[in-house]
Amino acid sequence: MRYGTGPEVLREVTCTLKPGSFHFLTGRSGAGKSSLLKLMYLAHRPSRGLVTLFDEDIATLPRQRLPFLRRRVGVVFQEFRLLNHLSAFDNVALPLRVAGVKEGTIRKHVDELLAWTGLGDHTEARPPTLSGGQQQRVAIARALISRPDLLLADEPTGNVDDALGVRLLYLFEELNRMGTTVVIATHSESLVSRFKKPILHLEDGVLIHHDRVEAKDGTADPRDPRKQFGRGTKQ
Amino acid sequence: MIRSGRTDLPLSRDPSVRLVPWIIGLMTYLACLMLAGSLLLSEMLGQWTNGLSGTVTVQVLPQEQEAPELLNERVEKLVRILERTDGIDEVRAIPLEEIAALLEPWVGGTASLDALPLPRLIDMRLNVAAPPPMGELKTMLSNADPGALLDDHGIWQDQLADLVIALELVAGFIVLLVGLATIGIVIFATRSGMAAHQDVIEVLHLIGAEDGYVARQFQNLALTQGLRGGIIGIAMGAATIWGLGYAADHIDSSILPQVKLLAWHWVVLASLPAVTALIARSTARRTVVRSLTRMV
Ligand SMILES: Nc1ncnc2c1ncn2[C@@H]1O[C@H](COP(=O)(O)OP(=O)(O)O)[C@@H](O)[C@H]1O
Ligand SMILES: [Mg+2]
Repeated sequence: MRYGTGPEVLREVTCTLKPGSFHFLTGRSGAGKSSLLKLMYLAHRPSRGLVTLFDEDIATLPRQRLPFLRRRVGVVFQEFRLLNHLSAFDNVALPLRVAGVKEGTIRKHVDELLAWTGLGDHTEARPPTLSGGQQQRVAIARALISRPDLLLADEPTGNVDDALGVRLLYLFEELNRMGTTVVIATHSESLVSRFKKPILHLEDGVLIHHDRVEAKDGTADPRDPRKQFGRGTKQ
Repeated sequence: MIRSGRTDLPLSRDPSVRLVPWIIGLMTYLACLMLAGSLLLSEMLGQWTNGLSGTVTVQVLPQEQEAPELLNERVEKLVRILERTDGIDEVRAIPLEEIAALLEPWVGGTASLDALPLPRLIDMRLNVAAPPPMGELKTMLSNADPGALLDDHGIWQDQLADLVIALELVAGFIVLLVGLATIGIVIFATRSGMAAHQDVIEVLHLIGAEDGYVARQFQNLALTQGLRGGIIGIAMGAATIWGLGYAADHIDSSILPQVKLLAWHWVVLASLPAVTALIARSTARRTVVRSLTRMV
């Protein structure tokens, strides 16, 4: 893919994420990690190549069907992208409201999730009044509220100390155990070596696999790709 | 319109939000005056066409040395014809005594009246809603009796009608321009609102909002702004119309034709805020949806 008429920032990327898998996406700053995630959460279309998400070809899918695919993907953005004029509660509730869920159901689920993430006392607080760690939890709660099939996190440990980063990854691991496919972009070598998970490594727009723990993931059915990147190249 | 009480975009805090209803109000005010003016004009034209009070008089001229009985017969014949004509509610031959009474100040005394060849008069009250065409009525009368004369305003009435139609076209054109300007204002306000909240719109989009969901936020605001502006405009318009009406009432009324806006005219004017609101709403919706289709 490319931004506008700029150079191709992703060139040779071929991979298939099996449902229920857990991957780290690594690479130096500027290698294209965020760009690859943008393709996955449908913020960009590839300029060439094939992207399939939940067995749908993104290139041929009518535009009005994309929102329904996006609702199955939870994203924790690098800069959180919380809405500062809305309370923590309303921020977390947003994906459900957008999907037209009834207000009573929303209240129950959001209150539950905020309590679970330890934000039960801050439901009415606006993001600017929260600490960085608290904002991150709001962002994670927003990504999880609609029980996504695919969870994408862009440098989630970038803004927090190591101890918190580790706790966060245990949380993602827990979600993965419950069936969510997880992709975490990070450049933290310590985290990657600590959690023995398969790695997708990007170098200047070229993807290199390091499937360290193949045995663990061998359970997934390769004929049922939840998410595929390119047969051949995707750019 | 679902959940119109809750919005995800802080649009109502934008500085332009307070200004837009006043601009729309001004536009509605202009439209209101133009509409009221053209409604009054067509009402006025209608009344002039019917004769000022809806009554028309026919003069029956006596022929030389004509016996009064023969003249009476001619008048009675005309009255019978007129009574059978559509669009005439009432026909009354004015008795000779009344004509004499009218003339008394000029002639003095009643003694010599019999000797004068007085014309006879027939008063008609026309059906204001469906008056007979004046041209046809005139031909019919002169066919029936060459001495019967209908007051002839035909030519200047036609010219007046042309003038009124021209004025109404101008008024209609101005209303159209005002409508286009209102649409322009809403497009501009919506676009600047979208630009100011691009980040929020993007987040909504990425968490799975359909275009209609984002559009709803803008169209609800536009609806209330259009409604507010419409009410401001119609309030100023009504004040102006009443003010002019008050002034007109205190001018010698014999110069001005007595025209007032009818109930249905007020209904048309009162519907302006709703029309403005709906135009604003659909404009905002189209603007948002069109610009969102540029996003993936
Ligand atoms: N919005 C953008 N417009 C243009 N170029 C961009 C944009 N975002 C990223 N890039 C470029 O794309 C390349 C990859 O960036 P990115 O995907 O953000 O890398 P990473 O997340 O691995 O740091 C970089 O060269 C960057 O300059
Ligand atoms: Mg990045």
